[in-house]
Amino acid sequence: MSYFRITLMRSGIGLPKRTQGVLKALGLRQRMKTVFYPVTPEVAGQIMKVKELVAVREVDRALTKHELKAERKPDPGFYMERAARR
Amino acid sequence: MFGAFRPTNSLGGGLLWKIPWRLSKFQKARQRKRLRAVDTVVAVVDQALAKKSITTKAVERWKEEMPIEQEMVPKDKYTIFDRKEKKYRKGIHKLPKWTRVSQRVNPPGY
Repeated sequence: MSYFRITLMRSGIGLPKRTQGVLKALGLRQRMKTVFYPVTPEVAGQIMKVKELVAVREVDRALTKHELKAERKPDPGFYMERAARR
Repeated sequence: MFGAFRPTNSLGGGLLWKIPWRLSKFQKARQRKRLRAVDTVVAVVDQALAKKSITTKAVERWKEEMPIEQEMVPKDKYTIFDRKEKKYRKGIHKLPKWTRVSQRVNPPGY
């Protein structure tokens, strides 16, 4: 099962209601919001409606909210050492 | 305000549009980047559907009618047809929402 990973890069403000409606239907409510949908002709048609606003990748599985959050988290630059058990 | 070095712009009545008639090289570079981004989206969608051997009218029509960025002539990338304009062309930045809409083809011969 493959998915479209769709990220809203440009806002839909000021564009026709039809375009804004497609963004709403896709669940893209603010910039940089990422959503996952299975690869179907219906979703492909929706992406084509908003192709100027989104970035799309094809991925194998849909990530959860927590995985997406972990992806955005920067590298802390350190790690905690644990005392070895004696 | 007065004297020899007064700004001439305010003399013309006050209203002044400072929109340049052509794009700068940086605006052109960003315009090409946006065109390529749209090409990438269409290519990704097309490949994903092709793996499942599905075709969609929206994608097929786009591929048939629209040139990709590398195929476009500079004239079409940076200007659009306008019947009211001298030489029938004006800068694409005069198009409302021009950074978020696709405008690739113009009437043949113009």
